[in-house]
This record gives sequence, C-alpha cells and structure tokens, in this order.
Amino acid sequence: MTKTSTYSDTPFPRPRTLVHPGRFNPVRIQSLDAQQARHIRLLLEPGKSLFDALVGPLSENGIASASTTILGGSFDTLTYCVAPPDLSGKSVIAYGKPLQAGRAFMIFGNATLGKAVDGAPLVHCHAAIRTENGTVKGGHLITERCVVGEAPIPVLVTCLAGFELRQAHDPETNMLLLQPRKVALHG
Amino acid sequence: MGRVAYGRIAPNEDLVQGLEKLCLAHGFRNAFVRGALGSLVDACLGSTNGKIVHVAGPAVEVVSIAGEVRSKPDGSLAASLSGVVSDTDGNVYGGPFVAGANIVCITFEVTLEEWLPAG
Repeated sequence: MTKTSTYSDTPFPRPRTLVHPGRFNPVRIQSLDAQQARHIRLLLEPGKSLFDALVGPLSENGIASASTTILGGSFDTLTYCVAPPDLSGKSVIAYGKPLQAGRAFMIFGNATLGKAVDGAPLVHCHAAIRTENGTVKGGHLITERCVVGEAPIPVLVTCLAGFELRQAHDPETNMLLLQPRKVALHG
Repeated sequence: MGRVAYGRIAPNEDLVQGLEKLCLAHGFRNAFVRGALGSLVDACLGSTNGKIVHVAGPAVEVVSIAGEVRSKPDGSLAASLSGVVSDTDGNVYGGPFVAGANIVCITFEVTLEEWLPAG
C-alpha cells in the first residue's frame, strides 16, 4: 500500500494543556458498560422545577442513573450559569453567579442523572436556550430554579443499569464530579 | 442495539479522540452518542469555508452534541461530532468539533450506545 504524507499550514490554534491544582490521574477515561439499556420517553410536568420533573418520575421507576436528551420546550422561568476561570486558584474554573433567562425556551439540552456525594439525586444539565429577550445563550442550568412552562416537554432517557453515576471529589481538578461506579447486584 | 457505555473523559484529553478511545475501551466498533455534556478549554469548530471557529475559554461549555463513532475501511475508528458550545459569557457557537483541537477542561460525560450494523 502506498502511503503519502502531506504538509499544510496549521489549520487551528494549538490546543492548550491546562495545569490543574491536583495530582495528575493516569486514568484518563473512567468508564463502565452494561449489556443493554432501557429507553424511556418522559414528559416534564408543567409547573414543576426541571429537577423535580426529571427526578420524580425516574425515581418512581427505580431509575437513579441516566443520560437524557431534553427536547425543545418553554419554561416559565429559567436560571443558568457559565464557568469562567476561578481566580481563587482552587480550581481551573468555577461556576459564575446565576443568570436569569426569564420566560425562556429551551432549544435542546442534555442532562445526566446520578447521585450526589450524600446519595441524594443529582442532575447535571447543559442546554442551549432562547432567553426572554430573544437572545440565544447556553450554559449550565440550575435545574432547581427552572420551572417547566404550560406544555409538557418530552425527554428521551437512556437508563443506566448495572452501575451508577456517583458524585465524588476529583483530586486532580479539585471539583465534585459524576463518575461511574459499580454497584452490588443485591443489596 | 448493542451495549451501552458511560464514560467520564478527564482534563486535557481531546473530545473527539476521547470518544474513539472510549469505544476502544469497551470493544465498540460503531456507536451513537446518546447523551453528553461537559466543558472544553477552548472550542474549535469547523465551517464550510475551510476556516475554523475558535471559541476562547476556559471554560467553553458543550450545550448540545450529536454524533457517532464509525469503523473506517482501514479498520480505524473515527468519531464525527457536531454541536453547540457556549463561551464564558453564555454566547453560543455551533459546528463540527475538529479532532485534536477540542480539549476537555474539567470533565466530559458521555453515554455511547453500541450499534451493531446488520450483516
């Protein structure tokens, strides 16, 4: 087989390697798999917070860990934040102050359901939104402070079984992050 | 549909090749992205005129993503990912993620669903 090499101008700026506060973890991808996953179509209930509208029905169905895609829909109120550099130096970045999008439309979002350090349900959600003043924005949603509008919003759920997503302190980044963890099948 | 894998990609790893390596870790040869979110140091998105869109962080949040990992004729794996990112002011940009140029900032959470092509 003939191999050819080509030379070209660098098509993009050189990627940056950031220095995190903690010790480098040689494991760069933490992952687990399951033989199959159950899919659920869920409707977010109007008037509820995004957090409650996601966690409630899934918990009632025994689902504690899942990846979800939130289809478009209106929210009576929507609060989000972005993640600028952390000037304190504790981490590379830190969540900024809550930003009010008002009566906003979620264009689409992805949310991960897992368990917080204390075992309580945790939702990590990023979304593209159209704010009340018509500007399209994106960021990290504060799901407890987003209220579903008058029409139910469909969510496609991939339920994760055989392992759980658990928030734990990540020494390298010095942040609390969701990580997959094996669970006992019984008890 | 085959198996499903959830992975957390660590900082300073490339998003596109990270998904390919996640497939390697689980023996997937073809997979769909089912759900994913996380942050990048900076984002590098392709455009139709051959230029790229460089979004400065950190952090640039990935707020929407769709894509797949496919086996290529030479046996290698290649992820194709397209999505929307937001900068530190919440402003949004979209396009295909350029392989090797989208470095994870804090974490990237992704669920891959193995696809078993017929035949």
